Amino acid sequence: MMGLLTNLRDSISRVTDRLFASEEPKRIGIYGPPNAGKTTLANRIARDWTGDAIGPESHVPHETRRARRKEDVSIERNGKSVSIDIVDTPGVTTKVDYKEFLDHDMEKDDAIRRSREATEGVAEAMHWLREDVDGVIYVLDSSTDPFTQVNTMLIGIIESRELPVLIFANKTDLEDSDVQRVADAFPDHETVPLSALEGNNMDEVYDKIAEYFG
Amino acid sequence: MPHQCTNCGHTFPDGSKEMLSGCPDCGGNKFQFRPAGSNADSVADDAADTTASSKADASTGESVTIDPETPSAGRQTSPPETEGVGDGEVAQNDGAESPAQSTARSDVVSSSEITAAGSMGPQSTADEQSPTDQPAPTDQPAPTDTPEPDAEATADTPDDPTEESNLDELRKELNNQFESIRIVSPGQYELNLMELYDRDEYIISLREDGRYVIEVPDGWGDS
Repeated sequence: MMGLLTNLRDSISRVTDRLFASEEPKRIGIYGPPNAGKTTLANRIARDWTGDAIGPESHVPHETRRARRKEDVSIERNGKSVSIDIVDTPGVTTKVDYKEFLDHDMEKDDAIRRSREATEGVAEAMHWLREDVDGVIYVLDSSTDPFTQVNTMLIGIIESRELPVLIFANKTDLEDSDVQRVADAFPDHETVPLSALEGNNMDEVYDKIAEYFG
Repeated sequence: MPHQCTNCGHTFPDGSKEMLSGCPDCGGNKFQFRPAGSNADSVADDAADTTASSKADASTGESVTIDPETPSAGRQTSPPETEGVGDGEVAQNDGAESPAQSTARSDVVSSSEITAAGSMGPQSTADEQSPTDQPAPTDQPAPTDTPEPDAEATADTPDDPTEESNLDELRKELNNQFESIRIVSPGQYELNLMELYDRDEYIISLREDGRYVIEVPDGWGDS
């Protein structure tokens, strides 16, 4: 309930911002499947440009079960400043099963609750995609197969909304990382390789963010 | 009471469109849904308590919620002439019926009720999103067709398992068309991303027992 009120309040303030500010920060949603490294990336960006983190990172899927945002992140590129709001969203998936959390030393009750919250989070993230984002950073674990139903569907939705989108092939530090496979999966979009965890290739990441969302 | 206003407790039958413009009693715009799948019997009883009692009969094939000794207890008894207003085929079977059965069926006169009932079976968890911008159940050919033969079967063979399984299949098919979150069991969910993306209302919270509470955006239904 509080989350909804916050959402509504934010939406209202956003409308007001639109009315009075000539150039408000673009709201960039960080989307992707669970465990792609979305929060790690969001924290990397937020720490680099504001000094604060956005939320806890974890190897357990669905650590992020509510969208979190960092407003007015100013990124300096080529003497210009680009301001964006970063929205870190829960990993989008078509199935949530508490049993997958049992492997992570979790009690059944906690796993079921986490599963429920994750499902709510996906619903919220999908709702936001429709109404609340101006651009999308789509994060993929480049060591896994990018040809999934979720990826295809989400990219399709993003394309249908004609939102600017960047594909981030994350986890290039992993041995199995295959950036080309990601690029081949989404040939209509620009793919940027990076390791958000190690901070590799972040210069290009910020160049592209400024270019696409500035 | 598949849907209930969380403010004043007003209940609505499955698929009711009344909720679209807010609760008629208190104006509330938050409703909880009680899925029928986990407890079909009690839901049928609940449905029998509402003015749309006959819907449970039409959708489950159980006319047994009506006590034969009190055929008109607490419900309107329609004169025979009005029977079959929306269901002419059923009226032809009147000869061999008990008064209770005919009374039960005589309530099933509204084609919109039949349609609503047909699309929202006890197995359905898709009902939560019936008040969305999805195509109205009346747009779907299947539900309008099926309840009628089922109502006939109710009069003749109330426990026909074939009819039951056909309805189950229909419900599954409708679930596939309508639902955005399928609750497989507590803690296990299947999500229809396109449906979630398309829906107008926010989902506030899933409950452990399979209910969920939704928030209807302001101005919803005005357009």
